[in-house]
Amino acid sequence: MEALREIFDPQFLLRNSVYISLLLGFVCPLVGVYLVIRRLIFMGVALPQVSSCGIAFAFTLHARGLIPHLEENSEHGLALVGATVFTIGTLLVLAFFERQQRGMAEGRIGTAYALAGAWSILLLLTNPYGEHGLLERLQGKIISVADLDLFLTALLFFLLVVCLSLFKKEFLLVSYDREMALTLGKNVTFWDGLLFAIIGLTISLAVFSVGPSVTFGFLILPPLIARLFARTMKQLSMAASVIGGFSALGGFWIAYSYDLPVGPTDIALLGAIYAVAFGIRKASSLLSQSA
Amino acid sequence: MKPLITLENLTVGYGRKAVLEGVKAKILEGDAIGLLGANGSGKTTLLKSIAGILPPSEGKIRFEGTKRPVIGYVPQRESLDQSFLLSNLEVVEMGLCGRVPPGRFLGRAERTAAMQALERTGAADLAHKRFAEISGGQKQRVLIARALAADPDLLLLDEPTAGVDAPAVKAITELLQLWNTPGMTIVMVNHDLPVVRAVARTVWWVREGTVEQGTAAEMLSRERIEHLPVE
Repeated sequence: MEALREIFDPQFLLRNSVYISLLLGFVCPLVGVYLVIRRLIFMGVALPQVSSCGIAFAFTLHARGLIPHLEENSEHGLALVGATVFTIGTLLVLAFFERQQRGMAEGRIGTAYALAGAWSILLLLTNPYGEHGLLERLQGKIISVADLDLFLTALLFFLLVVCLSLFKKEFLLVSYDREMALTLGKNVTFWDGLLFAIIGLTISLAVFSVGPSVTFGFLILPPLIARLFARTMKQLSMAASVIGGFSALGGFWIAYSYDLPVGPTDIALLGAIYAVAFGIRKASSLLSQSA
Repeated sequence: MKPLITLENLTVGYGRKAVLEGVKAKILEGDAIGLLGANGSGKTTLLKSIAGILPPSEGKIRFEGTKRPVIGYVPQRESLDQSFLLSNLEVVEMGLCGRVPPGRFLGRAERTAAMQALERTGAADLAHKRFAEISGGQKQRVLIARALAADPDLLLLDEPTAGVDAPAVKAITELLQLWNTPGMTIVMVNHDLPVVRAVARTVWWVREGTVEQGTAAEMLSRERIEHLPVE
């Protein structure tokens, strides 16, 4: 409990990292729910990797003098722009080919994942910025976060959650029954595009803070755990968000107590929760069958 | 009966491949049309085109009134993902999304309209059950309720009696007969000839990329049925 008290001490050096973790924990699963219900889990693996490649690419342009010198905070903005352009661009290209119904979707997503992963490492290793924490960040080691970064991330996440709530019925309709949406005169391309933009921006923000593998974990694992018990879409979203938030806090606590990297600890904790939840679900269904 | 929709030289298909070419037809207000044809002949393609799901590559669909009629669409139920955690009431409420502007939540009025639609199809007791957990016939009633919720001028149904048991077929047939009024035109794809005979006044045979039309009595005459090519 002492470690928990320290974590929430206003003087705690890594307090902003705690808040960022909590934000990611609560918000990523809300977006991840759409990846799970639309059976786009592979997309959840590939997009964070593509996003990190976007960050690496933006910093490479900067390092090679193709973008003028920027202040530190502007550099973060540059990284976010790189991540968002790459993520949303890839989403749109994948969605376009999906709509054409040609070739194998898994093959395209797998190719995007492999290429993005390879190029992220190549670009970062040949870039002096890679030595200034960026490589660690993209490996999931949550490090110190500036106040302005925290504020902007919180603001953007707030806006994204507001959008997700306001347009929930449109997003659910185009996800569940695209044909019905067209019959009702809805602009399916617009609503799909807006949903993909929200997914892309959330992933970009998350990858910049905690790296691709931790982002993937927070996107997918909480909705999968919540799905074991939820009876409605509302329960699924709420439960996934609560599981993500509390796992982020628990993960930070464990990592701080035992001097472990935060991101991988968060995901290991989510994995343990998934295993326990799955066991409880199986046991309860066996019990109800025998009763 | 005056025309509700006119299909003018309609060519429609997937990608560059045209399934139907140069279709000319009128859907009259209050009519009940049975769309028949072999598997893969283009019945569903034509229905989707009328619904606005599949835009024509050539020709056009002209709405004769001052505005586009409200369309209720009942898809083949296998096309819907069963993994969504939706109650039947929520599925029916989706049919009302066209009425409620973006950014506004579905309210009490929409919930009442959805319940009424479920009552019209005799599925009110299923409102709070999960859509994925009910039988095929019950699903069909819920999907018809969803299409009815928006109070459509035109009800399009894609094989509404496929894979459902005999009592459900009878119930759906009776409901369609009951609802087919001057205010509600029905177009239905169906392989089940007794259902088409019971509901349709007009039949469109979809064959070799074109549509042959006539009254149900003409098109379903014994002679004509006997001379149909075997699939």
